[in-house]
Parts: sequence; C-alpha cells; structure tokens
Amino acid sequence: MYSPALYGVISRIITHTELAEDVLQETFVKIWQSAEHYDNTKGRLFTWMMNIARNLSIDKLRSKDFKNSLKNQDIENNVSFVDEQNKVTFNPDVLGIKQLVENLKPDLQAVLDLVYYKGFTHVEAAEKLDLPLGTVKTRIRLAIIELRRNFN
Amino acid sequence: MSVENLKAYIESGVLELYVLGDLSPEEALQVEEIAIKHQEVRDELAAIENAIEKFAMQNALQPPASVETKLFEKLGISLDEETESVSIPSLTQETKIVQFESHDGKVRTLRYALVACVALLVISTAALFITYTKLTDAHDQIASLNLDKQKFAGIVSKLEYSNQGLSNLVEMNDSKEWATIKMQGQAISPQSKMNVYWNKKNKSVLINYLAMDLPKADAQHEYQLWAMVNGKPVSLGVFGKTDSTSKEALLKMQTIQEAQAFAVTLEPMGGSVNPTMEKLTVMGGV
Repeated sequence: MYSPALYGVISRIITHTELAEDVLQETFVKIWQSAEHYDNTKGRLFTWMMNIARNLSIDKLRSKDFKNSLKNQDIENNVSFVDEQNKVTFNPDVLGIKQLVENLKPDLQAVLDLVYYKGFTHVEAAEKLDLPLGTVKTRIRLAIIELRRNFN
Repeated sequence: MSVENLKAYIESGVLELYVLGDLSPEEALQVEEIAIKHQEVRDELAAIENAIEKFAMQNALQPPASVETKLFEKLGISLDEETESVSIPSLTQETKIVQFESHDGKVRTLRYALVACVALLVISTAALFITYTKLTDAHDQIASLNLDKQKFAGIVSKLEYSNQGLSNLVEMNDSKEWATIKMQGQAISPQSKMNVYWNKKNKSVLINYLAMDLPKADAQHEYQLWAMVNGKPVSLGVFGKTDSTSKEALLKMQTIQEAQAFAVTLEPMGGSVNPTMEKLTVMGGV
C-alpha cells in the first residue's frame, strides 16, 4: 500500500524509470531486512520507510553505477535522455506535484526542490544556494508548514 | 527546557530535518531524547511526519506491476537467507512464519518421501536376499536331483538289461526249439561256466551275457566261440567282455548247421583262425 508513495518519492529523485524501479525494489528488500530496527515510538512507519527510500535513491544517484549509466547511453536514446536530464520535458506523472510546489514562494520552493526532490542534505542545499545553514533550515520548515496548511 | 527555548527549538527547523533523515545520528538521538520529555515536540514531529506522508501519498506513482513480481522473487531469496539467521524482525514475523511453514511443509514431505524410499530399499534388499537364498537352494536341489536322476537312469537301464536277459533265459529254457548247451570251466579257469543257446530249427546261435561267468578279459584279448564240427573247430565269432556295456544281454553268433560241442577260448582282439587251445576257458558237448 505504501509502494506508490515510495515510488513517488524515489521517482522524484531518480528520473530514470528503470533505475527508480530498481531502487524501489531495493527499498522494499531493505525495509524487509531491517524491519527489526524500526521503533514505532520514534516516528511513523512511513517516515522510516520514506527515509530508507530517499537514502537508497541518493546513494544510487551518487553511485558509480549510475554515473556510468549516464555515460553509456545509446545514441538513439541520447536526445530524449538529455532532455530528461535537463528537464526540458517533464515526466507527466511529476507535473502535479510541481504545480503544488510552485504555489510556494520561490525561495521556499528552491529549498524544497533540492532537499525533497534532489535528495540534497540541508548542508549541500546551503552550499548550492549560497545561503547560511540556519536560513536553509528555516526555509525547509516554512515550506513544510506551507504543506501542512495545504493538507489540513 | 523552558517554554521559550522549546519554541525556538521547534522553530529552528531541526525537527523537519529529523523527519527528512537529514541529521547525524547524534543529533537525531538528541531530538529523540527531547521528544520523549516534551509533548509539544512530539506533536510537532507528528504534524511534520503527517504532512510529508500526505504529500508523498498525494504524489504517489503507481510502480509497474513487474516491479512487484521481481520484488517478491528477491524477497523470496532474501527470506531464505534470513531463515538461517537467528533474529527474526518482529514486524515481519507473521509473514515469515508463513514462509517457514510452507518451507517446513515441503521439507517434511521430502523427509517422509525419503523415509519411504529408505524403507522400500530395505524391504527390497531383504526380499532380494531371501529370493537369492531360495534360488541358491533351488539350484542345489536341482543339482542333487539331477545326480539322483542320472543314478536312477543308470539303475533303470541296468535293470532293463538284466530283465531282458533274464526273460530271454526263461523263454529259451521253456522253448523246445532252443537247446541249451552248458559249458564247464577248463584247466585255466575251473570256476568259469557259460551257456550257449542253439536253435534246432534255424540253427542260430545265441549267447546271453547274464548266463556266463568268465574271467575278465584284458584290453588286448577277447573271447571267441567255437563249434566242434566233426572234431574241427569252426569259429562262431568273438564276443566282448563279460560285463558288456551293450544294452542287449543277448548276442547273436554265427549259425552252425551241426556241432558236437561248443567251446570258448581267449584270443587276441579280432579273433583267430584257429583256437589257442592253451586258452580254452569253457567247453561243453551238445
């Protein structure tokens, strides 16, 4: 029942469909194998699973395999692949979420984009956006408060 | 922690980072400790988690069905590995037990099958052994029966032989056609005796192996029957050893029209033209 939600999280970090499927698979295997480490007093099950999915996605994104796969694309696939990488075209499935985030203020959106979609840590996001750490933290908080408001 | 400090803590954004898994283990532990002490922090965390979960749910993507199939395959494999390890995660315990049982059931079935196979093998071996023993016994019996059979066959042929000879003797004695000439032992073998049967009608001469008692001839010699016709010996032919192996007890010799006496001498193989008188064994007059 969580698999679409987790796949959604993974797909936003990894746009490559096959790799995202692989990571989803790995995520479930890891959830299965480390279920004993889940402590329900520390938080919701979904939070725990989502963090496993995010960590695996980020690991994959930074792994050699993924970097190699970027280098070894077939020529025929190259155009669309490059497009996808450059986000010239959007994955239609991702369009809805983009709109939702676009309702946020641009500075909040930029932070959430990096942290939630691209799997950046807040430290990396601060470097990328050239902002103090505290500001990044605050903006993440504000973005999530905005989300909370949206859902309530 | 004072109320203001708590508020500042909540507003620092550290709880959001905690929920996003973006804190070091030490920082995360600190957040957990504070959350245990303060209800406000727990509520805030729950709200953040809830928002992110809803956000994720709202933006869920249905993964292709193939992923699920592959996943179960992979989990099946990792489950097998895990059944060996001691710890069983509490959350997945239920599912795992199911796996265990089906696995166990298969093993049990196989174990029963193995036991059945072994039992069958033992029974088969025993049956084979018994059969083999019986077969050996049967072979022994057949061999001994064969021996008996040969022995009996020998006895039967011997009996037939003597029976034929004896019945002929009886017949000849009863018949008026046949004259029985009794020959008595001579100098070299006084104990010997032999009968010659002479048909008065057709003049044929018969001897009966059963009605003779002559010393055994050696390999180089055989007996020759003579008829004395007017003082001259006429050969009636040779005959073999007294214990002849021939089936016929009776032996037909050459016919003689008239004779005054019959005699038997021991001659070299094939017989002689004239009798060797020194080897005269039996003789008798008509």
